[in-house]
Amino acid sequence: MSQERTNLEVIAPTVEEAVTKGLNQLGLPAEAVEVVVLDAGSRGLFGLGSRQARVKLTIKDMSAPVVQEPVSRPVETPQPAAVEPVREKTPTPAAPAQSAQELSADDERTLRVASETVSELLEKMKVKASVSARFIEPENANEEPQVLVDVQGDDLSILIGRRSETLNALQYISSLIVGKELEHWIPLVIDVQGYRARRDRQLRQLARRMAEQAVHTGKRQILEPMTASERRIIHLELRDHAQVFTESTGEEPNRKVTITLKKQQ
Amino acid sequence: MKELIDYIARSLVEDPTQVQVKQDRGGSKVRLELWVAKEDMGRVIGKGGRVANAMRVLLRVAAAREGKQASLDVIEPR
Repeated sequence: MSQERTNLEVIAPTVEEAVTKGLNQLGLPAEAVEVVVLDAGSRGLFGLGSRQARVKLTIKDMSAPVVQEPVSRPVETPQPAAVEPVREKTPTPAAPAQSAQELSADDERTLRVASETVSELLEKMKVKASVSARFIEPENANEEPQVLVDVQGDDLSILIGRRSETLNALQYISSLIVGKELEHWIPLVIDVQGYRARRDRQLRQLARRMAEQAVHTGKRQILEPMTASERRIIHLELRDHAQVFTESTGEEPNRKVTITLKKQQ
Repeated sequence: MKELIDYIARSLVEDPTQVQVKQDRGGSKVRLELWVAKEDMGRVIGKGGRVANAMRVLLRVAAAREGKQASLDVIEPR
């Protein structure tokens, strides 16, 4: 079958990385291609046969410079191993979700336990989704790297819940189980289809808006109850604010951030 | 639902052999009882009931998938 369009399949630990990698290879901006996620990736049994994310990039405009040879093959490839290497060596299928540096056996085990635990929980909650885990660098260099467990699937809003209640519960239970299994606590974050990043942005906006309001009205602003990590985002966003300071008041789970005007000198 | 609570409890306790989840039959409202060893009560309840409440939140999702409502009680062993 010969398609009139140019396709490129890319494999990487996560969907986002695969897309970035593909765009780099093609030398095209994100607008110039259509992205189809062929496989969101998944854990493997006991670390064997774990699949990386696989995406197909289709160049929309044929007048765009074609760097890559057209790859014409059916999209529906059931077996993930059959991916043609596109002028680049395919990462070994058993490789854990980490691209740049080598992972120690301990780190590999951490990622494996994390993704297996979350998969197990989701399966028992009757939620169909694919799960992958990787390390993310902390914002501050003196902090431990976090384990990010990424959950992808169809209509996972049920996993987030009101005010991310369900997502937080899933994260809390998962980190307890993983911590017990590994015999030490690790910072574990679960994300569902980019929700954390969206929420992070929202919270920063909220922080700035409420700080503005505090300055405007001269009144202390009290935000809705948030989890520790959400409050932290607010505190960090307003850390260097000239006119207000933030503090958390109240008891969990109703602890809230208050934004107060600094005293005028 | 039962499997979910059973899995979580067994993963958190020191003595998994003492974990038992009982599910009463019934209509759309299902009641689960979780039994664990006395020494493990704290591990499945948590500070201020945090662990038990998180389990309830996840249980709610599992129950909703079956069109049901579920409650969870952690039973104090005698």
